[in-house]
Amino acid sequence: MNDAAPPPQPQAPEAIEQSLYEVRHKIHPRAVSGWFATWRWSLVWFTQLIFYGLCWVPWHGRQAVLFDLAERKFYIFGLVFWPQDVFYLAILLIVAAYSLFLFTAIGGRLFCGYACPQTVYTEIFLWIEKKIEGDRHARIKLDGEPLSARKFSRKAAKHGAWIAVALWTGFTFVGYFTPIRTLASEVTNLSLGPWETFWVFFYGFATYGNAGWMREQVCKYMCPYARFQSVMFDPDTLIVTYDAERGEPRGSRSKHDDHRSSGKGDCVDCGICVQVCPTGIDIRKGLQYECIGCSACIDACDQVMDKMNYPRGLIRYSTENAMLKKWGRKEIIGHILRPRIMIYGAILVFIVGAAAVGLASRMPLKVDVIRDRGTLAREEDHDMIENSFRLQIMNVSETPRRYTISVSGLAGIEIESDRVVDIPAATTRSVVVEVHAPAGSGKQEFNRIYFEVKAVADEKIAVREPASFIMP
Amino acid sequence: MKRLVWVLWPSFVVAGVAEVLFFTLIDPQELYLFGAPANFSRMAVYSFGFFGFWAICAASSLFTCFIQRSPDEVNVCMAAATCKDRVRP
Ligand code: SF4
Ligand code: SF4
Repeated sequence: MNDAAPPPQPQAPEAIEQSLYEVRHKIHPRAVSGWFATWRWSLVWFTQLIFYGLCWVPWHGRQAVLFDLAERKFYIFGLVFWPQDVFYLAILLIVAAYSLFLFTAIGGRLFCGYACPQTVYTEIFLWIEKKIEGDRHARIKLDGEPLSARKFSRKAAKHGAWIAVALWTGFTFVGYFTPIRTLASEVTNLSLGPWETFWVFFYGFATYGNAGWMREQVCKYMCPYARFQSVMFDPDTLIVTYDAERGEPRGSRSKHDDHRSSGKGDCVDCGICVQVCPTGIDIRKGLQYECIGCSACIDACDQVMDKMNYPRGLIRYSTENAMLKKWGRKEIIGHILRPRIMIYGAILVFIVGAAAVGLASRMPLKVDVIRDRGTLAREEDHDMIENSFRLQIMNVSETPRRYTISVSGLAGIEIESDRVVDIPAATTRSVVVEVHAPAGSGKQEFNRIYFEVKAVADEKIAVREPASFIMP
Repeated sequence: MKRLVWVLWPSFVVAGVAEVLFFTLIDPQELYLFGAPANFSRMAVYSFGFFGFWAICAASSLFTCFIQRSPDEVNVCMAAATCKDRVRP
């Protein structure tokens, strides 16, 4: 909780830690509470309940959401996706990109501040750190102390807790790609496969490193989004802004001073906005690319304003235009619906709609025709020509089905082999089909023919696939 | 350290993309190794594939890092190598 007192606090010397880039002053973000912090925590809970929980949800005797790599099938509740459905993956990526454009244009780095795994895990790890080592000042002090039994035990406890969370995260992650219940029983029997073990540790290590050690450096130096965010901003984008006109000239004062008469602005120069900032920047210097829009500084400054009995919002969400033209809340909201937003929104709605229609009318059957490479064409007796084909029939639905196979395209063409196949749910069968046609029924070399595969129970489930019949 | 991240991080991202694209289109069980069908589990092929892609991409990043040094930096290195009493700028 924030027990901030407004007068400036002497900055304790902070530990300098060897970092990846420039000399990094280790940042000890101060915990913050308030409206935005509540929102952020709600989203942490929401996303993590989904992430840690969804993989355990059963669905008709299997895992509801499973990207089964070994079987090359993706299950999402009632839907089964095959490698042939890569189209939907592309759609998903496009939708994700457009949503990102849309949200960035409206509210800046909303994704970074509230939903990005980097933020979410850093938040969780910071919470653990705070529980074990105390808040900012206690941590700065602890880091400055020489190694003692107390320091060692605190640090060991912290890293132990971090590693436990990280390994659980790694396990959950792998559980989306191999059935998690099998995985869990393998872990308890100590019979986990080498690759699964490897990926659990790999992902766990990445979580531990990114959320425990790298933190804001990931956002500052590794994230591509931070680098191109500015192209998505415009003067009507809501960003975390310090109201310099109201705040400056900053300076300390006692609560009862009439600071206006002494020519001071509302900023008491307490530096708390800097202390809470997870990327360690001073928002009072204006918009900087390091700002992840987490609004921690808004919450912090509002508390200071409350203590001073000044109106809130010295740091607030605002837009460039609003600052220049002194707009109120109403005008800012009015400017959210601008052409850019509407175009992004319309494209998004269109793509999502089209994908939904496509999914709803998806044929639960797929057929690939492959010529048997070994034999091209064979002349049988009675002037019949035989070609053989391999039909890859995929039952994409979740019910076992019986199908009939027929062929057309040449006079007198017919199938000699089995014409009925039974295929279990969500399974592929490869069927060898021998096709006969009278010798004179087509021209030499390639003749276009069509295979039709039809579900016996449901006439609407039918696929017509072209193939070439070879006449010698 | 900075260079190490420059080399390993972008190549990690690109390797991830390459892995997804490659293995959506190609089933590991259809691959041949030295003319014989590759008899590894799909998990093993995916994993090897990922690290293979990563290594190749990292090699490219490494090369980029190597040639992006400015002429001045290269000259400093050459001077240091050839003339012992020259003071580095
Ligand atoms: S902007 Fe607010 S939190 Fe930051 S120094 Fe000024 S009064 Fe303190
Ligand atoms: S400046 Fe404020 S909004 Fe930006 S990252 Fe720092 S605390 Fe978060």
